[in-house]
Formats: sequence, C-alpha cells, structure tokens
Amino acid sequence: MPENLGWVGSSPPRRDLGDKVTGKAEYAADIGLDGMLYAKVLRSPHPHARILSVDTFEAGKLAGVKAIVTPFDVPDGRVAPDVAILDQKVRFVGDEVAVVAADNPFTADLAVKLIEVSYEILSFSSTTDEALADSAEPIHEGGNLINNAPLIEQRGNIDEGFGEADLIVEESFTTPAHSPAPLEPRTALARWDGSKLTVWKSSRGIHADKIALSQALGLSTESVRVIGPHMGAGYGGKDESRTAVLASILSMRAQAPVRLELSREEEFVAGRRRHSTQTTLRMGLKKDGEITAIHAKTVMDTGAYLSSGPGVARRAGQGALYLYRCPNVRYEGSLVYTNTPTAGSYRALGAPQGHYALECVADLAAESLGIDPLEFRRKNHVGLEGQPGERITPVTEIVDTQPSEGGIPFSSNGLSECLALGAERIGWGKPVDGIHKSSSKSIKRGRGMSMFLYRGGPGGKAHASITLTEDSSYSLATGVMDVGEGSATVLSQIASQVLSTPYDSIDLVMGDTDITPEASITAGSSVTFSSGLAVKRAAEILRDKILNQAAQFLGDCQHALKLRGSGVKSDSGAFISICDLVEHSGAINAEATIVPGSSDYVINSFGAHFVEVEVDVETGKVNISRYVAAHDAGTIINPKMAENQVRGGVSQMMGFTFLEDMETDPNTGIVVNSNFLDHKSPTILDFPDIDVIFADINDPIGPFGAKSLGEPPCIGPAPTITNAIYDAVGVRITDLPITPHRLLAAIKNRKV
Amino acid sequence: MATIEITFTLNGTEHCIEADTRWTLLYLLREEFGLTGTKRGCDMGECGTCTVLLDGLPVNACQVLVASISACRVTTIESLSSDGNLHPLQVAFLENDGGQCGFCTPGFIMSAIPLMEMDTPITRDQISEALGGNLCRCNAYGAILDSVNAALDERFHA
Repeated sequence: MPENLGWVGSSPPRRDLGDKVTGKAEYAADIGLDGMLYAKVLRSPHPHARILSVDTFEAGKLAGVKAIVTPFDVPDGRVAPDVAILDQKVRFVGDEVAVVAADNPFTADLAVKLIEVSYEILSFSSTTDEALADSAEPIHEGGNLINNAPLIEQRGNIDEGFGEADLIVEESFTTPAHSPAPLEPRTALARWDGSKLTVWKSSRGIHADKIALSQALGLSTESVRVIGPHMGAGYGGKDESRTAVLASILSMRAQAPVRLELSREEEFVAGRRRHSTQTTLRMGLKKDGEITAIHAKTVMDTGAYLSSGPGVARRAGQGALYLYRCPNVRYEGSLVYTNTPTAGSYRALGAPQGHYALECVADLAAESLGIDPLEFRRKNHVGLEGQPGERITPVTEIVDTQPSEGGIPFSSNGLSECLALGAERIGWGKPVDGIHKSSSKSIKRGRGMSMFLYRGGPGGKAHASITLTEDSSYSLATGVMDVGEGSATVLSQIASQVLSTPYDSIDLVMGDTDITPEASITAGSSVTFSSGLAVKRAAEILRDKILNQAAQFLGDCQHALKLRGSGVKSDSGAFISICDLVEHSGAINAEATIVPGSSDYVINSFGAHFVEVEVDVETGKVNISRYVAAHDAGTIINPKMAENQVRGGVSQMMGFTFLEDMETDPNTGIVVNSNFLDHKSPTILDFPDIDVIFADINDPIGPFGAKSLGEPPCIGPAPTITNAIYDAVGVRITDLPITPHRLLAAIKNRKV
Repeated sequence: MATIEITFTLNGTEHCIEADTRWTLLYLLREEFGLTGTKRGCDMGECGTCTVLLDGLPVNACQVLVASISACRVTTIESLSSDGNLHPLQVAFLENDGGQCGFCTPGFIMSAIPLMEMDTPITRDQISEALGGNLCRCNAYGAILDSVNAALDERFHA
C-alpha cells in the first residue's frame, strides 16, 4: 500500500451530500429563469416512415404558443453522424418529429396534439433477424448491418486451437435491452441572448456537449456555454445533445429561455438502453483443463441510431479475448440497426453481455471436465504476465486497455486474490445445505461464481488546474462531471493528500465550460484514474511552487521543507503560514495535462463474484441469500463510497438478471413497458445481503495506486446467479431476464 | 382554463392561492413555489421521488391534484432543517453515505419520517416495507437502510 495514507484511503462524507439531503442541490429541471417557456416534443407513432408534411397552423394559433420547429424549417446541422436535428424520416416509435415552446407545459402539450403530420409508412424491423433479412427496408443509407461486416478481433488461430482440443463446449445466449432509467429524466434549459447560448443540461460531459451544440447549430465554441448542474445520474447516458439542441433553437426563435424536460415515458424511449444481444460462445479444451481456443460471436441491436454502439460491440468481446490465458481467440461482433429505441452506453457497456456467455460456458467447461468451477478459473485465468503471443503495438506507444494482442503484462492483476478472498468469504466447497435450514421442501439451494476484467481507468486526455488563492484557500478546477458517482469527493481527497489540507477546504470549480479546463466525458470508469492523475500532478506542481516560495522566504533549502496543513515547516523548525506566504507571493496556480495510460502495461481492473441462492421450484422465485463481490480496483480512495458503489452496481444488475426488458411489440413497433410499473426495477425490498471485499492491490500507474471501479460491479451478477441456479436445480438459463415463468418452464423441461 | 381558490398550509405557513385545476401538488411546489427539493421522476406515482407529507403522511405529490388539498398541511424536504440544523434523518444520510446521485434522497427521507415518530423498535424489514415505494436507481439501498436504521437508533439515545 502507498505510504502516508491520510485523505486517500479514508471515508469523509460525499462532498455534495449535505445539499442533497436538504433538497438544496439543483438538478437541470430545478433551474427556472424569468420568462421561461416550456417545450414539448411531438414524437412519431410509426416505427419507420417518411414525413411528407407537417401542418402547424392550428397549433400556432393557440394562445401562449411562442415557437414551433419542424423538420421542414430546422437548421441542417447534425447532432451525431447519423442523427439530424430533426429528420424528414422517423426510425422508431418515439422519434422526434416536431417541438413546441409555450408559456406553460399544458399549452405546449395541447399544441403538440394539434400538429398534423402526413406520413408515408415504410416496412420496419423490430428485431436484428428481421433487419438483416434481404427484404428489410434500410433504416439508414448503407444498410442495417453497421459497416456491412462484423467487427473482428483475434489472436493466434482458432482453427488450430480447436484442432488441438480434446473437448469443445458451446452454448448460445440472449440478453435483454433494459433501460438504465435514471430517476432524473433528460432535461435541457437553453437561453439565447442574441450572441451567446447558455445551456443548463443533465450532462455527463459538458465540454463534449459544448462542441456538439456549436457544431449542430453552426455557432463558434466561444459563443456556447454549457452548465452541468447536479446529475440525477445517467449510468452511461446523457451525453447526447438532441434535447439541448431543440431547446436552443426554440429559445432562438422565441427570444426567451426554454426548458425541455422529458417525461418518464420519453426518458425510456428517447434515452439510451443496453444493447440486447445474441451470443454463441465455443471453448476448446485439453483433458487436463487447458484452454486451446475461444470463439465468441455476438449480434447486437443498436436500435434506430448508432450512439456508442461500436464501443459497446468492442467491449462485449473483451472477456472472451482476454480473461482466460489462451493463445487462440476470436471475437466477431455484429451491430445492427432496427426500428426500436436507440441503445447506447449503459454501465459496463457490452461487458455484462459478453461475460454472461463466457462465464456460463466456463462453468459448462468445468462440468464437462469434472473440475470444480473455482479450480477451473484458478488454473486458467490470465495472470500478471498477460496473454501469450507477440506485442503488435510499438513499444513507445500507449497500450490499449482492451487489446487483443498478447505479449504485454498487466500493470497489476488481482484476479487470484479476488478468487481466493471471495471463495473464502462465501465458504466455497463447504456443503451449501449445511448452512441454512430449509423451511420448505420446494426450496433448493446452490452456489455460483464468475470472474471478470474491465478497462482499468485510462480515458481521454485529462486536465486539472489548482490555485492557492489570495485569500489563502485552495481552488480546484476540472471540467469533468460528477454524475453521482462521487468523483468530486475523490478528486478533492487526492488533491488534499498532496497538499496536506482538509479535503473540504478545497473549493471545487466544476460543471461550467466557461470556467473549467477542457475534459473528456465521465465514461468508462475513467475519472478517478485519469482526472485523478491530472489532479495529483497539478497538486504536486503547486506544492513544489509553494515550497519554493517558502524556501525564499525562510532562506532555507526547499528539500528541507514540508507543506503541513496551514503552513510550511522546515527541518530546522522554521515556519511560515500559508497566509503570510500568499501575502508575500500572491496567488499561485499550477496546471497539469495527462495523457493517461502506459506504454509498458495493460491497465485493467478485475474481480470475482460469488452467490448463494434459494430457488423455489414451485414458484420459480429465486432468493439471493448471500452475495460476495471481491474487486481489484487498486488502492481504494474512499472505501465507504466504493462499497456503496459496488453494492449499488450489483443490485442494479439484479434488474438485468431477473426483471428488466424493454419489450417492443413486433406488430406495431411500440415499446409496451416504458414505465416503472411494467419495466420493474429492484426496490429496497429486493436488496440482498452484499459483502464487498477489496483486494490489497496497489497499481504502479494509477493515482496513489487506484484503478477503475464504477462499472465493474455490473459485470458479475448475471453469470454468477445463473451458475448458482444451475447448481441448485440443474438447469442453465441461457436467456435473461430469469423470470419465474422462464425458470419454471426450464425446470419442467429438465432432463431427468 | 379553470381555476379554483385553495387555502392550505405549506411548511407551517398558510397560503390562499388561485390554482389552475390541472395543477398537481408536485407542479405547484416546483413551478409556482420554487420548492425544487421535491423532485419529479415519473409523474405516475411509481418512483416515490416526489414524496411529501400530506397531513403528516407520505404521498406522491404527482398524484395529488391541488384542488384536493384544501385545509391540508403539506410538508416538504425544505422544512426539515433550519439555520443549518439538520433533521436527524438528514444527519444519518450524510454520515452513512445514504445517497449517490441524490435525486431520490429527499423522497426517501420524507418517506422515513413516520418511522421516526413511532415509539417502538423498528426492524430493518419494517424500514424496507416503509421505503418500498421509493426507487433509487443508483441502488444505494444498503446505505439508505443503514442511514434510516442509524437515525432510528439515535432516536432512543437522544
């Protein structure tokens, strides 16, 4: 562990929680401006159609309607490569057709209903199978299979690998398109004052939003300011800009501030959901358990627009390519447009889908070999040395955090620690029936496990600026957003560790593009690692500048000085307070820019999850009696927040495992459950006992040894639970979610 | 647009207002009174994010028409603390990391208030029952349970 742990490794309260518990914390929809108008969107009732005409005459006559925008009078900018601001073609039920601003939301709602649209109906595809058929209507130019080919990543030669195998196991799996359903619906408030556009929006990347808005609207970046208030979470979403662009155009036309706040149903269909997948995974094995080849093929439904689909398709393959030591691997990921709501990034992107197939097949392999599932993983998991094979990336270049090539070691790898710690905690190998007394004969018990890897934190370029101000306080400016995960607190802790000052004495400047340095979006579990490195570096530069000033003042050598709380002390006992120093020096600023990553190592986070389940074979209900999540996220900066994040991620994915699936009616293209009653999410009543363990790993590259943690907890639950259900009742569910109906049917059809 | 005159008590102060009959209590609080601590999550009574107390009992403000609150007492999150003095539930949520993004936090705290007024020991299962109508999509349920439990324990020690 790193020496001199102080703020790093302690659990001071989340910095913004005081405002959150009192209701003072402002989210985008909490901001009101004088003369503000309310906007509503007219959405397509058809899954696929050309818009022939839009008649706004009746709507425009309504008292209080101030502006209407249609596809026939909208600027021709784009909000994404395949998304127009408003298009003359609609691609799913819920796609934007027109938008209205009025002086109250009721009038805006009424006006939307008075707009008459004439459509030319096109045939539509509600599934990837339909969209890939020769007869399918193309949803975008270029066809429904993105790039007309699957993404292919490989190492070695799988034909040779399967040729060497004594045994091949194979299974196919499907996973649902569930919604992250953040409680805060997407909201944007735009104010155009004639020369400058200010947008307050639910955002996980204000600087990216600023660029997207300026490009879509043809404005200079200097004339766009994006303010990100508190975020009612996104779990991967809320980096798209269509809502904000529409509010901005309305504000320009109406000459008044405009708020566009989505409804719950709109949040479901116009937000971003997880890609549904069909995956087939084959594994070749020697009799002694050695893996000779792995081949995974995935087809993913990206819905009406691409969003972050290519990144998701790539990440879905990483488990198959890299979790098990194997010379011959191949992943094929096909991404397909359909006339359904857009899929995008949802916490851990494709990793939960890919690991679900991989880790269920690993259990199948272990069973076929007659080896314990834990033993199989102990024998075969990738080690610190990385994968066999030759490095392709030039030695001077930064290594990708999700490579397919071999020959590159990991910076740190806590898989074996996670397997050992988790197995010990759950009591792996001890009789499961001996632990709980059964109250009913219909209850069957079982244990399951799985393991995973994930990108370890290097993201885009990161900047930080820290100032010792003239009033002797510290001010930290960073352009990343705290989307509810707690990065504001963690970055404060990192700065305070270097500057030896209380974490809440650092004034945070975040969430406003006019006063923060450029930053990447909060994505890929990268903020603690990437922005953390930038903050640490900037704090170190500032500390050295302070010590240099103090050395001049005290006439002492800088090396003999230490920054301690309210001042600088020398070994000889001399002291100057920060106040006196600033009076002498004026404000001192330090900035740092980091291109995070390593040219020597693959940087990944790891973990292993274990569970005990009780399956009621009469009702199909599964009870989680114990869950153990063991993680290698390097040094944990704030253990209490980290534990909360892991338990939350596990519980969130109980929805993916048991409950959630946004279902599209194949006859109409309508999503039939775009509300919390029918797309049920876990409640506090479902929350199981979750034990969190952090392996004692100190990464040599990350700030104070830290790696990524935000998304990894979401990878383990589905395969872990599926494997435990198999252990309990002898059926392997290969289609999520595991509803009581599905589980009962499988038990009924079980081979006796 | 039809209007109706309504007299009610909001956070201890009586108000007489001319209300649009389409207004929900949630709309009234947020858009007319600027009390935005009460959040809007679904407008359908499914998420509990807009929980306030109506005559002391938790309700989804999105499911209450303003026309129906005549002579009622409405209590929102804003009234729980004054001059920086937090309610014991607020202190417990702060100390136990009882929220992540914080959007559901006011609703959870309002739903937990009736538990604080009971003078009997309360189990974790009973806490879950009381909070079962509030969603937290960060799933910070463990920390929320710890927070309410801590506040309830404190009740007997205070």
